[in-house]
Amino acid sequence: MYDFITSPSIYSFVRGPLVWVAFIVFIGGSIYKTRSMILLAKKQKVVFPYLDLKFSLRSFLHWLIPFDSRNWRLRPVITTVTFLFHIGLVFTPIFLLSHNILWYESWGITWWTLSESLADIMTLIVIFACIFFLLRRIFASEVKFVTFYSDYLILAIAFFPFFTGFLAYHQFLLPYKTMVILHMIFGEIMLIAIPFTRLGHMFYFFLTRAYIGSDHGYRHSKDW
Amino acid sequence: MAVVEKVKESEKVVSREFKEYIRPPVADPGFDESIKKLTPEKIEKTINAVLNMMGGAATFVAPLKTCIHCALCSEACHWYQSHGKDPTYAPVAKLRMTLWEMIKRKGKVSPEFIKQCARISFCECNLCRRCSMYCPFGLDITFQMGMVRRICYVLGVVPQSLMDYDNSLSATLTQLWINQADWIDTMQWQEEEVRAEIKNVRIPIDKEGADVMWCPLGTEPKVATYHIARTAKVMNVAGIDWTVAARDGWDAANMSMFARGMETMQRIVRGIFENALRLKVKRIVLTE
Repeated sequence: MYDFITSPSIYSFVRGPLVWVAFIVFIGGSIYKTRSMILLAKKQKVVFPYLDLKFSLRSFLHWLIPFDSRNWRLRPVITTVTFLFHIGLVFTPIFLLSHNILWYESWGITWWTLSESLADIMTLIVIFACIFFLLRRIFASEVKFVTFYSDYLILAIAFFPFFTGFLAYHQFLLPYKTMVILHMIFGEIMLIAIPFTRLGHMFYFFLTRAYIGSDHGYRHSKDW
Repeated sequence: MAVVEKVKESEKVVSREFKEYIRPPVADPGFDESIKKLTPEKIEKTINAVLNMMGGAATFVAPLKTCIHCALCSEACHWYQSHGKDPTYAPVAKLRMTLWEMIKRKGKVSPEFIKQCARISFCECNLCRRCSMYCPFGLDITFQMGMVRRICYVLGVVPQSLMDYDNSLSATLTQLWINQADWIDTMQWQEEEVRAEIKNVRIPIDKEGADVMWCPLGTEPKVATYHIARTAKVMNVAGIDWTVAARDGWDAANMSMFARGMETMQRIVRGIFENALRLKVKRIVLTE
């Protein structure tokens, strides 16, 4: 098993075709899922006539700014953790130096990079936030009551790319090359899983908030 | 601090599916008698019929696919707050115990389970929509609970008093079995009453072309007639050109909406609008 996973063919497979598959499935799947939800909503009488761009944007902003809405203010710990977690989760992979080098080597394109130490801190934040969410699932009674195996699974899908990435960077536990292969596999699993699991809340957020934001705007109230 | 209801050990009702769901017993013929008529086949057919219909509704499907089970909606619920933060009162927990379980089991649930769903959706949730204001995704949890009510309604498992209102509305378009003669008579009687205080006050019935058509709740002519007198005083002193409809469709108490009896619900609203069109009024004013 160890020989298998460290063999050059596995490396070139996860670095080559599997990346293509992951990105095509992620982008294609996301577009397909979002589009089919919008088409479904179009058939319904009560969604599109009420949708309003101004109220939708107001709703996005209101809930994407930490401590802006009432529920974010009521729960300062969760708000802090969840915002740091999501910022780390989305922006670390996009602006990581080593990822950008891969883009440059493949296609010759570059953009901004985070400093290595900042990226390291953001990765640690994501890892500890995952542990925080796990503990919350186990010990907070109201969360425990609505926790299914799938909740642990999607938490693990988000956790392992960052965990293996961190270990690979610091060259802990396993040899660098093995860890980096694991890291790439987990990253690709995450990309593929996003459109087909509840990780899809990444893009459904904008649809559901647009609906409820417009609904509240229509009634001349703010959406808290 | 919230007072936690102590349930006597001998009396408590523990859910078969959810050990955390412990409640004192409640006797309601609308629940206890009506579940005797249910069969597993009937339940399965009803649940799947409602769910299949809702499968084409984005407002129903999107929340199911988006909910991340974070339980951040709990704090919004006054039931949760006033029961010592019992997790089974949290909005998402109520969905987990009703709708999610029905979907998971594809409608294969027992009559006892339907009774439990009816108790949760009718008696432990007011459909106030506060939870959707606390949900980071703004998911319309209330709409989903409403669908649980709808399933219970179609199966006939509804609190007896609410079912009686719904029956009355479906037969007479009023909440409390009021016939047209009684309604007109009550308005004329109240006109006389107010005339003792204000000279020549009118409660115009069926006045075409008035600015405002007032629609009371059925309770007002039935048991709280002084509300009609007060409204008449306000309207007359404010100098508003108003009227009430003589024909059925004057009662704004849409109890069928709460029971999710959609058929009667839309007849009530249609009745009010048809009266407004017939009388060519500019505004409809409802009691709340």
